[in-house]
Amino acid sequence: MTRMGRPVTESSTMISARAVSKSFDGGRTQSVLDLDLDVRPGEFLVLLGESGSGKTTTLKMLNGLIPPSSGAIVVDGEDISRVDQVRLRRRIGYVFQGIGLFPHLSVAENVALVPTLLGWPAEEREQRVDELLRLVHLDPEVYRDRAPSELSGGQRQRVGIARALAGRPRIVLMDEPFGALDPITRDHLQIEYQKIHRDLGLTTVMVTHDITESLLLADRIAVMNGGRLVRLGEPAELIAEPGDPYVAQLLETPRRQAERLGDLLDAGKGAR
Amino acid sequence: MNANLARQLELLPLNLSHHVKLTVIALAIGVVAGIPLAILIARKPALRSPVLTTIGVIQTIPSLALLALMVPLLAVVSDLSSRLIGSGFSSFGLYPAVLALSLYSLLPIVRNAVTGILGVDPTLTEAARGLGMTDRQTLLRVELPLAAPVIVAGLRTATVWVVGTATLATPVGQRSLGNYIFSGLQTRNWLAVLFGCVAAASLAVTLDLLIGSLQRAVAERRRRLAIASIAGLALLFGGGLVAPSLVSASRGTSGKDAVAIGSKTFTEQYILASLFQQTFADAGIPARRVENLGSNFGLDALASGEIDIFVDYTGTIWANAMGRSGPADRDAVLAEVTDWLASERGIRSLGRLGFENAYALAMRRDQAEALGIRSIADLVPHARDLAIGGDYEFFERPEWEAIRRSYGLDFAREDTFDSTLMYQAAASGQVDVISAFTTDGRIDTFDLVLLDDPLGAIPPYDALLLLSPRVSGRSDVISALSPLVGSISNDRMRAANGLVDRDTDKKPPSAAASALRSWIVDPEGAD
Ligand SMILES: Nc1ncnc2c1ncn2[C@@H]1O[C@H](COP(=O)(O)OP(=O)(O)OP(=O)(O)O)[C@@H](O)[C@H]1O
Ligand SMILES: [Mg+2]
Repeated sequence: MTRMGRPVTESSTMISARAVSKSFDGGRTQSVLDLDLDVRPGEFLVLLGESGSGKTTTLKMLNGLIPPSSGAIVVDGEDISRVDQVRLRRRIGYVFQGIGLFPHLSVAENVALVPTLLGWPAEEREQRVDELLRLVHLDPEVYRDRAPSELSGGQRQRVGIARALAGRPRIVLMDEPFGALDPITRDHLQIEYQKIHRDLGLTTVMVTHDITESLLLADRIAVMNGGRLVRLGEPAELIAEPGDPYVAQLLETPRRQAERLGDLLDAGKGAR
Repeated sequence: MNANLARQLELLPLNLSHHVKLTVIALAIGVVAGIPLAILIARKPALRSPVLTTIGVIQTIPSLALLALMVPLLAVVSDLSSRLIGSGFSSFGLYPAVLALSLYSLLPIVRNAVTGILGVDPTLTEAARGLGMTDRQTLLRVELPLAAPVIVAGLRTATVWVVGTATLATPVGQRSLGNYIFSGLQTRNWLAVLFGCVAAASLAVTLDLLIGSLQRAVAERRRRLAIASIAGLALLFGGGLVAPSLVSASRGTSGKDAVAIGSKTFTEQYILASLFQQTFADAGIPARRVENLGSNFGLDALASGEIDIFVDYTGTIWANAMGRSGPADRDAVLAEVTDWLASERGIRSLGRLGFENAYALAMRRDQAEALGIRSIADLVPHARDLAIGGDYEFFERPEWEAIRRSYGLDFAREDTFDSTLMYQAAASGQVDVISAFTTDGRIDTFDLVLLDDPLGAIPPYDALLLLSPRVSGRSDVISALSPLVGSISNDRMRAANGLVDRDTDKKPPSAAASALRSWIVDPEGAD
């Protein structure tokens, strides 16, 4: 595939995991088992799975936060076990599952963190902070100097996303970034982020256990179950052909919901 | 204003500034050593328990003992360094005090810092790493700022402890607010004791408040409050570091040239030190005081030139330093002691001051008369029904062993007192016999009688005027002091002591010293 016009040989994968396994207890239980995954440049890949299926562990291995027990991970052509971990992580935006805003820093300081680490001049940092806060629909004038404790859960999540994007990364890893949002804000931010992803040509790996969200956002969905990758494909492919009983069961829920919604809509029309 | 209070106030700049200096240096070392240590053991769990246990054990050493132990320890180190690199350092005064207090401050500093660092939410340190912070940046930008409230709480605890414990630096020769307390205890000047306690407590509370408000200011980002607290701290610390040299400079007693007059921790020694100081002032010789030396540090301090002038007693040197015992002739002891000092320690004796401050057993006059006791020998049949009180060292001293062996004495009870309170204990019947000093003014004040020593078990205690090797050749010093040799009789010394050690119309040691001088000049005046 030659998406974005690049030659197949070198850059057809932005991130690739080869036979990656992770056990936290010396092999008794496997949190991630024998994972093979290629993420293409510019792709929006969603890691889907239920709680404890190994999504966070996988995501953390992709930027070196957790070393794999076995297997290799290549990011942008380099085996990450051989590169400077600090430089690697500064190049990759990360939205943490618990958000992880620093309570002793203001919103602006949290967002400006990676630019600060990268040594950007103060003026450029400030511009970037305002630009990003506007991007996630937080008025800089109002929120710039607030402490994280003075924000709502959803506002914190948006600051977390702004922080991940601040250093102009080409790769963004997001762990349930829209979890604590109300449906309207969530919908809004999903669309907003998808636009950023496209406009900036980002490669995004997003973790979620929300099937609808994955179907709406993903170029491809990787379904995990019990530490294994059980299915990888485009949303339409998955719906057409689940290929795995677990995936079929997963997709059953949104399908049923969609059918019910359809019935309700029809009934509504009939009543009028 | 009350004259006693005025005198204490006059000493405040000197004592307080030394106290602050001591506190600041000790805490600074505590922080500089403690925080990195805490970071290390927060990172290395295997080291955590051994390190925390070790500094916990240091904490359980009574602080007075810890301070005192630093003196011989530093003496060894100093000796080594002078052999290895040709220059030693003082093992008295500031160094042992600072060392002991820094060790003492380690526990709250290290324990709180470790607790604070380990208490940082692990998702935040992971986020720090995940965003691309180095270990160092994670520590400096995330862990330490988040642990700061706990770390500062430890620093505040350490500050209060160190300010309090620094009062105990006085006996190792470092001036502090403890000078009020130690001299006050020895001269029964309760106002001075109280003054020292209140001053130390106020200093502790002030520092605690300033550090606390600085922390609040930083946490709440209140610039004005931060500036105010930093200014307050800087004023106190800067003042403490600079003032001691300013104060002594303004008194013309700074520098190594000033003759250092040492004194032990009792009234007679304070009066004699004052007497020398007045004598030097008249002769135009710059001099300074090193007060409250622990009893056994004096000779060492003299030999090493830490102090230059010191009064010690032949019997004490003979029994304690030379390790001799048994009945002895007064002149023979004097000759042996003088030789030993010169040959073994390089200390020059100018001779006897005239009086003898001997140990002697004393009783209430009415009880002694009722039991018909006049000498220690008369005491023997009654001893089993009587209690004896002694000062801190008496029951450990060879003299007591000699008395017991010579007479076969066995008392019902042996109680240890601070020498200030011992006489009162005898007067009030708490104990029946005490180990008095023959020149103590309180023998008359409390109507006690001294018992004879027919077997000569207690050695003679002639007060000797001793010079350090450093000044033993200075003719100005020697000609200023020479008139004092042989000029102070037992009666004169006891009368001078009595002026200070009484509860009504108490005189300060300096006034008693002036009285003593007037009696020396005008021999009729004493009676
Ligand atoms: N640091 C760790 N130590 C031990 N076990 C761990 C650790 N982190 C994760 N695990 C285990 O690994 C498995 C996968 O965890 P992971 O956090 O990757 O799940 P997840 O798919 O992200 O779940 P959720 O949707 O609940 O966040 C779980 O069984 C978890 O208990
Ligand atoms: Mg997770």
